[in-house]
This record gives sequence, structure tokens and C-alpha cells, in this order.
Amino acid sequence: MTIQFQLNGEAMSLDVPEDTPLLWAIRDHAGLTGTKFGCGIGMCGACTVHLNGRATRSCITTMGSVSGQQITTIEGLDQDGEHPLQQAWVDAQAPQCGYCQSGQIMQAATLLQDFPKPTDEQINQVMSGNLCRCMAYVRIRKAIHLAAGSSDSSSAGSPQFYEPGQEEMSNA
Amino acid sequence: MRKFAKYLANSATEQASDTPRLSRRGFLIGAAGAGLTMAFASSGIPVASAAKSISEGAFEPTIWFQVRPDGRVIVNIVEAEMGQHVGTALARIVADELEADWNDVELHYVDSDPKWGLMVTGGSWSVWENFDKLSRAGAAGRTALIEEGAKLMGVSAGQCQARGSQVIAGDRAISYADIVRDGNIDRSFSEEELKAMPIKPPQERRLIGEESKALDIPDKTDGTALYGLDATVEGMVYGRPLVPPTRYGTGINSVDDSKAKSIPGYQQTLVLDDASGTVPGWAVVIADSVHAANAAAEVIKVDWAAGKTADVSEQQILDEGRRLIDDASTGALVVNEDGVDNAFSSADSVLEQEYVTHSVLHFQLEPVNALAFQKDGRWEIHTGNQWQSLILPTLAKALGEKEDNIVMRTYLLGGGFGRRLNGDYCVPAALAAKQLGKPVKLVLTREDDSRFDSIRSPSVQKLRMAFDSNGQVLGMEHHATAGWPTKAMAPFFMPKGENGEKFDPFSIHGAAHWYSLGAHRLRAISNELASDTFRPGWLRSVGSGWVNWALESFIDEAARKTGEDAIEFRLSRLKAEGKNAGSAPNSVGGANRQATVLKRVREISDWGKDMPADTGLGVATTYGQERNMPTWTACVARVHVNRDSGKVTLQKLTLVTDAGTIVHPDGALAQVEGAALWGASMALHEGTEIEQGEVRDTNLNTYTPMRMRDVPEIQAEFIKSTETAVGLGEPATTVVGPAIGNAIFAAAGVRMRTIPIRPEDILAALKA
Amino acid sequence: MIKKILSGLIVIAVVVAFLIVWKPAIDEIDRPSADSFNQEQIAKGKVLAGLGNCASCHTSDPSKPLAGGVDFPTPFGTLYSTNISPHPEQGIGTWSEEAFLRAMREGVSRDGSHLYPAFPYTHFTKVTDEDLSALYAYVMSREAVDHQGPKNQLDFPFNLRMLQAGWKTLFFDGDRFQADDSKGDAWNRGAYIAEGLGHCTACHSPRNAFGAEIADETYNGAVVDNWYAPALNTTHAAPVPWTEDELFQYLRAGGSKWHGIAAGSMASVVHKGLIEAPDDDIRALAMYFQDLTGAEDNAKAAEVAAGHVSQAQGMADPATRTGEEIFSAACASCHYNAPSSLKAARPDLSLNSAVTAPDPVNLLRITLHGIDEPTGLRGLAMPGFGPGLSDADLIALARYLRQSSGQPPWKNLEQHVQDARQL
Repeated sequence: MTIQFQLNGEAMSLDVPEDTPLLWAIRDHAGLTGTKFGCGIGMCGACTVHLNGRATRSCITTMGSVSGQQITTIEGLDQDGEHPLQQAWVDAQAPQCGYCQSGQIMQAATLLQDFPKPTDEQINQVMSGNLCRCMAYVRIRKAIHLAAGSSDSSSAGSPQFYEPGQEEMSNA
Repeated sequence: MRKFAKYLANSATEQASDTPRLSRRGFLIGAAGAGLTMAFASSGIPVASAAKSISEGAFEPTIWFQVRPDGRVIVNIVEAEMGQHVGTALARIVADELEADWNDVELHYVDSDPKWGLMVTGGSWSVWENFDKLSRAGAAGRTALIEEGAKLMGVSAGQCQARGSQVIAGDRAISYADIVRDGNIDRSFSEEELKAMPIKPPQERRLIGEESKALDIPDKTDGTALYGLDATVEGMVYGRPLVPPTRYGTGINSVDDSKAKSIPGYQQTLVLDDASGTVPGWAVVIADSVHAANAAAEVIKVDWAAGKTADVSEQQILDEGRRLIDDASTGALVVNEDGVDNAFSSADSVLEQEYVTHSVLHFQLEPVNALAFQKDGRWEIHTGNQWQSLILPTLAKALGEKEDNIVMRTYLLGGGFGRRLNGDYCVPAALAAKQLGKPVKLVLTREDDSRFDSIRSPSVQKLRMAFDSNGQVLGMEHHATAGWPTKAMAPFFMPKGENGEKFDPFSIHGAAHWYSLGAHRLRAISNELASDTFRPGWLRSVGSGWVNWALESFIDEAARKTGEDAIEFRLSRLKAEGKNAGSAPNSVGGANRQATVLKRVREISDWGKDMPADTGLGVATTYGQERNMPTWTACVARVHVNRDSGKVTLQKLTLVTDAGTIVHPDGALAQVEGAALWGASMALHEGTEIEQGEVRDTNLNTYTPMRMRDVPEIQAEFIKSTETAVGLGEPATTVVGPAIGNAIFAAAGVRMRTIPIRPEDILAALKA
Repeated sequence: MIKKILSGLIVIAVVVAFLIVWKPAIDEIDRPSADSFNQEQIAKGKVLAGLGNCASCHTSDPSKPLAGGVDFPTPFGTLYSTNISPHPEQGIGTWSEEAFLRAMREGVSRDGSHLYPAFPYTHFTKVTDEDLSALYAYVMSREAVDHQGPKNQLDFPFNLRMLQAGWKTLFFDGDRFQADDSKGDAWNRGAYIAEGLGHCTACHSPRNAFGAEIADETYNGAVVDNWYAPALNTTHAAPVPWTEDELFQYLRAGGSKWHGIAAGSMASVVHKGLIEAPDDDIRALAMYFQDLTGAEDNAKAAEVAAGHVSQAQGMADPATRTGEEIFSAACASCHYNAPSSLKAARPDLSLNSAVTAPDPVNLLRITLHGIDEPTGLRGLAMPGFGPGLSDADLIALARYLRQSSGQPPWKNLEQHVQDARQL
């Protein structure tokens, strides 16, 4: 059936079965591949998009349920890809493989909407639905703090170097 | 096959001075196409001009780069990008010697055309292997640019220096872009000349070791980065495999797709006929969309004749491991020093313990997938892969094609961790495309991916240590058994042990420790029941992950037995003498460097201080993975044990790493953080078991890797060093698990010898 | 033998009832034209229709407003609502105001046949003449829809409408609303709406074997149409009793930070029915129910809520660890709250009516099938987790959540999960 909705601010009309997951409609029908497939059961967060401005897992959101709604993907979060979260993600050098990061950023946007100056605990609880298999968690948390201007209680920082003395190197 | 040669020549324990040597015949620099290309010659220095050779493609561009007329420096990267920012690290090595402005540098990831040579990204080798070559190549480029720049400015080369993509002579300067546009460089360097290239001393490095942003990151924040899953081609259809109940030996009796016929978009189900034996018993559902393929797969019934491992359990595999260990005739003696038997027969007391690690899924976040099609008679496989050279022969066999008629186009990897060293998932895509005569995009669901995973094998290890009446260690034995990935997938990498038996070096890495603990016997045994049931995989740090769980837990138990402080016990036995003295270029300093990281971690952790109730510190130290490429690593973990719930809270990890020269410090730190958390995740959070011949947990409802809320505080330090740059992607993984186990003992007095450690295990141990 | 005697008794009862409560037909009229009603009456009637939520039960297809056809599964068979649009043949176009009033007040159709009490005339009887007159004006000025829904499918003997007369003698008093002089105007307005057109007890009270509301269990909560309608009196299990402000918020917006969202038929009560009513009426309803639930003030409620959520978050029981892990990975991204600043858009599950209810059906339905916009708060939706979570996962999750709410464990969760998957 034909389902009409808004995708990144533009009217979109797709002829797909109602039970088609939004994820695959976005990727394969609308051609936006920034939203990723990870688990298919709503538990890794890689497919996170916004439905009417709030994070949702697109892999288990059916097309039938998005009729008439507004969907935003990572491509539509900011026209120039310069959303404060995206900039913070680069500043904190958060991504490793990067596959989860679209979802992380989309979830973080909702986090900051609800918790404008989040504590570590709030970040941990809200972001634990987004798996990062590279385990770049320390930097994701740091990037969220950077974007929010909130204080990061962890010791995440720049690489520390220690220069051992000569005697240390030669004498165990 | 550089590494093939290396591994045949070196056992895991040999003190190799195996530098990743410059083995090229020469270096060419000349204008070709849009810019100045710098590349290694494929066969000798050409008599004709370098530019002509380059334009004719007569170069071996494993490592090559170009300076474009607009000043951009394009560095071609053969390695797979999977989160380690390898492109950035490699490009910085080139750009540093080339004196290029970092803002001009761009990366280009190449396909698997044979001209690129061996393509494998794993074992944390990339930087170690390429550092010297890239430095010399960069220096050659700089030399040629200075010569030409001098000519254009009308000065002598000796008056010039290069800096920031410019050749500078006094107050005059010419940009690399202008040199490329106006000059006419046609220059070649012989192997000898290349060897004599003036490599900058470490203190003159401007990019290596300095802070920088990884070049691959911006695209990963706005959805533009392209992974294998994002590959498309005109006219492709989607494939969803129907994965059989056993990894091997399953046949298909019949397929009933009558219920799928009414699903819009369903096309047909193919039964694969795989001459390579990679995916026996597979069928592939073909449909117009992923959703249609998945919907059809739900209702298609396949009658499988399951293989003989259909009933195998984790317990059976572990029991088989125990049987193998008890049978002294099995396995390869990786180390077998004189006096081991004597040590035990004359011992006053013997400490003996068994350690177990359970199955672990890669669970790389992007389920494996591949797009396969034929274009102009040539096969193309579009996918994310870590070891193209390994799967090409298999693909050739499956397709009945010559290897050089298959090309792999590599995309970003949505996680590697070793899963994509094994390109088996390309085979069903290629077979389906061939059978259908159309491009097929094969996308595994998460459950398919888990069931088809080359998991980290469960392992059983027995360690013994002989003590004299003064508590001095006389000798030790370490017997380790697991399914061996290298035997399953790359048997040519297997060296011979002291008893002539071949072994998987990756499955025993980490056990040939640098401690002086008397006579040492190290036995590696392949668990065939494991490798019959599943295809064992290389998983982040491979054997060093499970081997050190046993070794470093055992060392802690030994220290407890002798009543020594766990760090003192280790330090007093890390002596850079004899086999542990270390050697140039990779292990200079030997055990001393391991002692240094251990001492440093003691200084910066709260070691020795009083802890709150049920809270404790544990230590572990390893040399990473390979004795001939050691990354010296030490960790102190701080845990709290809740005696009511059994929950272990990992509060803090303190890590000190000596990886020689650190090329990209921020990237290095990211690798240590990620690797350390992998170690913690495998110790406390994830893990599965084989049930009925398959992994029990196939998705996140029951498979529970570490999440953000579980992340401890991490304090990581590197040793400042100009020694050979070694690997960083995996070493921290090896050290965290045992540090946690040892910390649990310190906190609650219970010794955990099996990972993962679940709250119920803690409760049971507390009750016992 | 016993069967025969029983059958005989039933026959006698039927005959007696028939003789006692025979109702005559009221003459048909020509359908009044829409402009024969004054606009003020129609506007007032529109609000009243909203308060009574007529459309939810009498509209199955939005393109056929008030044309009936909504199914009501009961223990006695399935009833279908009738067409109440002013269509002369299919609807009530030929009904006089007198016939309309009698139907609303006595549950008797224009032709004299008895209506089933699924049509809540037992409540509408409390409504004033004035309001019914306005409602008549509104209904009769709607579009006449030519549509006939399915026929009722009731088992014998429940398909005999005349039996309803007997039911009425047992369970129906037919009194008008009586104001309570000890309460203020607003309270009485709330009570009038709730007990009359609003017919709140119809869903929120348990019913006896005859399908009648149990008089001394009014507002004790009940499962209706596979949704649990929570208790609205002091027997409720909510950790935070409804305050007037919070209930006002809930009835206006469709969600409360301390109770969760309006789902099932309550979603249409809020978004299709009450949306027509002015704030004063909603405020009056809120005041009335606050009195019934015995709530404390907002500040105290907020304190109780924060304490409860804190405690729930700090819970660490190995027996519910699996469920907690599922919650953390699948639910917390949307449902976690800072205890001190709970948000309606992040319904806290330890406080949630779906979790504190004695029946798990609401929680299981929503977890399995999700919430589509515009159920609950406008703009919010939740995907269903049914395909991804196994029965064991759902049970573990439900156990954990139930424990976090402080309520005793649900029984027979396995069966409940299997049943809910079929809904």
C-alpha cells in the first residue's frame, strides 16, 4: 500500500507492505544508508531515527505506523552535518568503526532534549540501548558532555605518556 | 605471502629479528595521469623512465601515493578500515617523511586487485609492518620534490629543505602543487638508495606521535560513510540465507516454499551447490527487498539432513578438551625446555589449576553481507573484508573461475574484530549470483550472523607449577586446548612445535611468557570436536585472550601460594636475561620493558592501599600477543563485589602500554580503551555456549556485551618510546580479564577460573 | 432431568418478563433537517457527544462516522454497535426526540425492543433532559451514513432481546443524577459527567456474571476488551495516587508522568472524546476523581514518585537480573528517568499503571505491539518488540518491572504472554 510520511522534511510516498520495517524502507526504498541494521530486534540502536523528533528504533517500527508522521535520519539531523553533536563527535574522535554512530548521535539528540545537561548516570542509562561493539563508550560519553557543555566526571582525555628513566629500562 | 614465510620460519617463541624489511627492488617517482605518482617498482629499476613505467602500470603499488597538481596528497591504503583508523596512522608515516601538510592528505582505499599484493588486516600488524617501508617511501618522495623544487627555483638542492608541502630555500619557497604542475620529475631509486634514504630522527618528526584527527571520522558522523551493507548495483536482488543446523555435513532433502509464494516480492529459493565446501546445506531466499526475503524465510520450510555435530554441547567440547590434556600424546610442544619433568618430580609442592573460557561471538555490529555480480565477464564482490587474499582462492573454487578473474571491492567494516578475516560469507553471495545470473546482495540477519559466526572457541587449560621447599619456582607446565582457527582457515600459517607437530600460533600466543619461572613446557592441543562443530575464528587477540586468562590468573594464585605481593612476585621474575633478554629491533629490552609497565601501573593505581569493604585490586601483565612483536601491557583492575546479588562492578581499569613508537596517539588511546573494554566484556558480560551443535545466544535479547553503563573509569598511559612501533588493537584485551579475576579474589576471597563470570557464579562461589 | 426443569423455568421467566415489561414502539417521524436545530444546541451537543465518547463505540470506519459496526466481544457472544447517524433506514433518522430520550434513559429502541447494556443507558439515564436534547440536536444534524454493520452474534438465550427486561429489573434503577450538596459545584459537575455521559464505571468497574457492574466494587478496575482499566478509587495500586493536576494533564494530553499513557479505548476517550470538552469540565472530572482516589497534593506526590523511582532503580535482585538487562538494553533509552524530574514523554515504568495493574495485559500488549500515534501523548509512538523478544524474554522483563513497581508477582505470566501475542 502507499504510505505517506515526511522524511527529513520532505514529503515521501512509498508503496510498501505495512509491516515493512521503517529501516529497510529508508535504506532500500528511499536510498538513505546512514541508518544501519544491527540486530533487527530494537536492542542495539544502530537503526535509531527520530519519529516526530524523538529517537525510535527503525528496525522494529513498521511503515504502517509512520503514516503521516515525521521521520528524521542522520542525514537530516543537520543540513550540513554540523549539528553540535556531530561536531562534538569529531572533536572527541568518538567513532572507531563508525557503524553504530548514526544511531548513537540520533539517540544522544533525544537525550539532550530530555536532559540538557546530563550527568554520567543519565547518559549511561539512556545510551545503554545503543551498543558500540568497538566499545568507544568513553568517547561517546565525552562527546555528549562536549555538546551539552556539561561536566565529564570520567578521566577521558588526551593520551598520557610516561618517560621512564634509563635505570628503569635497564634494571628490572 | 610475507607473513606466510614469516610464520613458517618462526615459531611463536623464537626470538626473531624479523623486521618488516624493505624487500622491494626500487622506487619510482614520475608524472602519471593527474599528478605525481610515487610507488615501488614491480621488477627492478626500469631502464626507461620511471614516469613511463608508472603510466604503464609497471609498479607494485602495495604502498603508493600521489601528489596532485592541486596539492592534495593521496595515500592509497590497502588495509581494511574497521575502526582502528589505520589509514590515518599509515598516512601520517608517509606524510611525516614527505613533509606534507597534513591538511592536504587524503586517503584512498583500494580494491583487491592482485597488484596490491597480500591483503590482510589483523593481528595488530599494520603499523608495525609498514612503518619502515612507508618512512623510506616518504623520504624518497621528499628527496625528489626537493631536487625538482630546487631546479625550478634555480638553487641547489643542498640549500633547500621541505616543510608543510613546500620546498624552501631561504626566503623563497615553492609549493608541492607548483612543483607537480611545472616540474618534470622522473626519478627512480634503487633498493640500495632507498635503504640509504635519510630517515628523520625521531625528534624531527612533525606528525608521528603528535595529536591529530583521524581522517575517516567526519564521514562516520553524518551518514555518508559507506559500509558493505551500503553497497548497491543496478539490477540487484536480495538474498537471505537459510542457515543449516550444523556448520558442516548438512544436506538438504527438500525445500517447501509454497507459503512464501503469496508474499509480495518473493522470487524463489536457491539451493546452493558449493564446490568449495564453505556453505554446505545452504539455501538462499531471493526477493525484491530485504523485508520480502525475511518475510519469506519465516515461512519457507527446509528439510535438512543434519550433520553429525547436531547434538554437540559446550560441556562435551570442554570434556573433550580435558581428555586431550590428560592424554600426554596429543598436541604440539610449543616450548619444551629441559628439566620440566625433573622440576615436578623433585618438587616440594605443586600448584595445579584448570581454567575455562566459554564461547564468544564476534557480534561485529554490521552483520556479514556481500554483494556479488559479474561485470564484463569479471566477478566483483563488494563487501567489507579483512583478508581478501585468503578468501579469493575459495571464491575461485566455488565459482569455478580463476582467482584473477575475481576482484573484491572493500568497503568500510562495521566492525572486524577478526570476523572478517574469514570471508566465508562472500561465497553464498557469489554462488547465488552465479546460479541466478543476476547481482545478489546477501544480507544475513543478526541471528544468521551469530549462527554462522566463526566464534572464539571455548577453551580448557591446565597449568602446573613446581615449587621447592623455599617457595622458589622450579618449573611450569601449561596445556591449552581449543578449536584452532588457523588450522581451519589458513593451515599454511602453522609452524611445527618441538615434537614436530604443527600448531596454531594464534591459539597459543601469550603463553610463551617472559617470566623466569624455571623449566617451561607449553603444549597446544587442537580440540577437533570444537572445530568439527563450528569454524573456530580469530577474535580480537585470539588465543592470547584465553591463554592469559589462565596464565595471569595462575600467576596470581602462585603469588598467593608463596605469600608474595602479586606485583612483586611478577617483578622478581621479569628478568631481561637469557631467552628473556629481548633483541633488536622488536623486543629491545625484553622482560625489562614488561617490568617497566608493571612498575608504572603500580605507581599510578592505588596498589597497596586499603580498599573499602568487598572492593579489591587485581593485576595482570602480558606481552600482548607475539613474542617477536611484543606490546608490553600491564593492568590493575578495581572491582566491587556485591555479596547479596553476586554482581561484580568493575570500577576502574588502570593500563600502561609500551608499544614502541606511537604514530597516532589519540588513535592508540582509542584502541587501548576499546580493547580493554572487550577484555572486560568477555570476562563479565558476554559469552555463550554451544547447545545442540549451535551457539545458544544469537541476538541481544540473551547475548549481553558490555553497554555504556557498565564502563569503568579508564586511566591509560603509554611509555614514551622511539622503539619499533608494534600493534595496539588487541593487547589490552589480553590483560583485563585476569586482572578482573584477580581483583575479585582480592575483594571477596573467591577464585573464579571460568569466564564469563556471572553473578550466579559469584554467589555459588561465595556459598561454597 | 435438571436440564429440563431449568429450561422450563427459563421459559416461564421469559413469558413473565415479556408480559411485565412490554414496551411500545414510538412512531417514526420524517428525518428532521439539520437546520431545524439551533447552532448553540448543536455545539453543546458536540461537547456532550465528546464527553460520552459516542464516536468510539459507534464508528468503526472513520469515513463512516457514527455508522456503527464496532465489535464488542462478550462472554455471551459478539455485539456490534448500531448506526446512530440520522440515516432514515440504517440509522436513527426517523427517531423523535422522545424515542431518543427513551433509548438513552431506558435502553429501549424506538421500535420497543430492548437494547443490550453494552450500550450504557444505565449511565445515560442520569443525564438531564436539557443535555439529552442538545445531544439529540447534535446527532441528528450529522451526516446520514448509509451503512449497516454486522449482525450481533449472540449465543442462545442471550440473543433474545426480551430477556433484557429481566436484566433491567435486576440491575437498572433509572435514577437521574443527584448532586451532593456537601460538595462544591465543580465536584458535582465532575460527578455528573463521570457517572452520566462519561460512563467511566462502564470500563473501570468489574462486572458480575450477568455483565452488570458490581455495585459495591464501583471503580475497582476491570479488564475490558483485553485492556485493564485501572481502579479509580482507593483500591488502586498506583504508587502515586492521582492528583487533580495530574489527572487534568492526563485527560487533556493523554499521558501522565506518574501513571503512563492513555492506551486502548482510553486513547480515544482522550483524543476523540474529551478533546471536545472545555478545560472546566476536564478540571471538574479531575477534581471528582482526586476525591475518589484520596490523593495528596502535587508536592507530596512528586516526593513519593521520586522516592519510588529511586528505589526501583537501585533494586538489584539476582532473580530479576535477566529482565533488568533486557530493560536496560531495550527500554531504558526511552523510559529511564531522573527520579527528581520525571517526564510524561518518558513514562516511568516502576510507576506505570500498566505495571502496577493486577493484570499484565496492558504491559504485554504494549510491549508486544507498540503504541501508534495518536495513542497516548500526541506525537509519541513506541514500536512493538513482539517479534524480537521471546516469551522467556517477555516474562523476565515483566517480572523485573513488576518487582520494580513494588507489587506482588503476576501469576501465570506464561499464559498471559501467549494470550497477548494473539491480540
